[in-house]
Amino acid sequence: MSVIEVEEVTKEFGAVRALDAVSFEVGPGEVFGFLGPNGAGKTTTIRTLLGLLTPTAGTAAVLGADVEDEQALVDAKARIGYLPATLGFDPGVTGETVLDYHESIKGGERRDRLCEIFTPPLERPVREYSSGNERMLGIIQAFMHDPDLVILDEPTSGLDPLKQEEFNEFVRQERERGTTVFFSSHVLSEVRRVCDRVGILRDGELVALEDVETLLRRGGKRVRVQMDSDQTTALADLDGVVDVTHLPDGIQFVYTGEYDRLLDELASADIRDIDISEPPLEDIFLHYYGSGATGEGEMHA
Amino acid sequence: MLETARYETARRRRETAVLTVAISLYSAFVVWYFSALDGVEYEELVSEAPAALRDAFGIEALSTVEGFLSAQIFNFVWLLGLGLYFAYTGGGLIAGDIESERMELLLSFPLSRSRLLVEKFASLLLPIVVVNVVTAGVLYALVTAIGESVDATDLFFVHLFSVPYLLVCAAIGVALSVAVDRAAVAERAAVGVVFVLFLVESVVGTSTDFGVLRYLSPTNYYQPTEILVDGSYGITGSGVLLGAFLCLLAVCLVLFRQRDI
Repeated sequence: MSVIEVEEVTKEFGAVRALDAVSFEVGPGEVFGFLGPNGAGKTTTIRTLLGLLTPTAGTAAVLGADVEDEQALVDAKARIGYLPATLGFDPGVTGETVLDYHESIKGGERRDRLCEIFTPPLERPVREYSSGNERMLGIIQAFMHDPDLVILDEPTSGLDPLKQEEFNEFVRQERERGTTVFFSSHVLSEVRRVCDRVGILRDGELVALEDVETLLRRGGKRVRVQMDSDQTTALADLDGVVDVTHLPDGIQFVYTGEYDRLLDELASADIRDIDISEPPLEDIFLHYYGSGATGEGEMHA
Repeated sequence: MLETARYETARRRRETAVLTVAISLYSAFVVWYFSALDGVEYEELVSEAPAALRDAFGIEALSTVEGFLSAQIFNFVWLLGLGLYFAYTGGGLIAGDIESERMELLLSFPLSRSRLLVEKFASLLLPIVVVNVVTAGVLYALVTAIGESVDATDLFFVHLFSVPYLLVCAAIGVALSVAVDRAAVAERAAVGVVFVLFLVESVVGTSTDFGVLRYLSPTNYYQPTEILVDGSYGITGSGVLLGAFLCLLAVCLVLFRQRDI
């Protein structure tokens, strides 16, 4: 049985369609990456899964509970951990008090262990917290009751790189323990490192649903060639060349076509240096967005 | 059970303390002022005041300590001041958490929305109860100290019957709080509604043509002057207020359960 089942979910706010017939499933023990730029509908999807929003059309179920059946969902929530993108902790109380309150409602058998990995100053009031400390407090409360499903919305924003890496490692360990993780993010490099499968959301539509491996394979290769710039036109005109950047000493592009054609073309050119590598996920991401009118600058958000 | 009520109540300790100290000090001032005014014919003075004003602030029998307390404290602080205060606080109860996005965390808990709302509302009982209990004690002690006396039973009931009134004011705030997304909007609207209802009873209460409008106002069902000065307390008014409170609470629950967060 799937842990999360979303079927044709549409959500409209007045005339604005925030989600358009989104469907996907997340299986037990899976780490599912949910990607998209800000405003694509990621948080709307999460709020629908948690019963905060009622879908305009379609159905969704979490841990077998229909999100529109309040009682069933309340029971399921005892086994769900949630880390929202914006953490609304009471500024006036200490981290300790926040966790005490969360523990009194959800339980906290893993609280001490988590407080060793993530180390916000628990004795201080939340108003004095840096964004990283607040995020760590959020991570502790999301995992402290040993939930079966954890929903993370931009979990590493505000964390310093070291803590981000510790968090990613922690998520990998959670996967080993069998926890299902729904990992919403616009940072592709971390999703690549921790997720098994990825859904890409664009303007409220799910535009891709793939294994991370497949996504990378379909993403082609990044090619960077140092050569006389008057010879670059032939390369840029090849089928399967996208995302072209003309450099002072050559050209860089992502190649998704047949490799023979590329090699033929390269063989006939006068090349000083060449680098063919796996493209960063950001560039793969770009292909899913690149067809639209959106400018490239925004996509690297 | 009731973890949220406990937590929310604990968050209200400071505001409860400040409110209680402020009102106790004001009450002490009023009692002192009454003793200082001893011998002045202020009933003659206020007889010059417009009838509507006298009605609004329940100004009768000012030469007795009961009449004085009723006008200066209960008709002024309880009916108007605390009524507006709890309407305002109720206005922030839900909308404030939605605005700060704290509501997302609260609704990720295994708690139904109804229970969350009721437990959060219950936290308002702390200031309501503490302010009444402490002020009743302070007033009784100080009135005795200046050599006057006030009937303990009357004082008890004037405080007790204020609870349903304050609950209705708070519920008006909460009803607005579940209906909008911004705390400031709900708070201002709640203060506006309660103030207008106060004026409705004060201004048209004595008019024969529009007098019927006063039945809309919660202030019509809590009359401190009648309790303190005349020693008459019918429970009908409190019954109406409790009924109105339960209706408003039901409306709040329906709105809160249905809305998107």
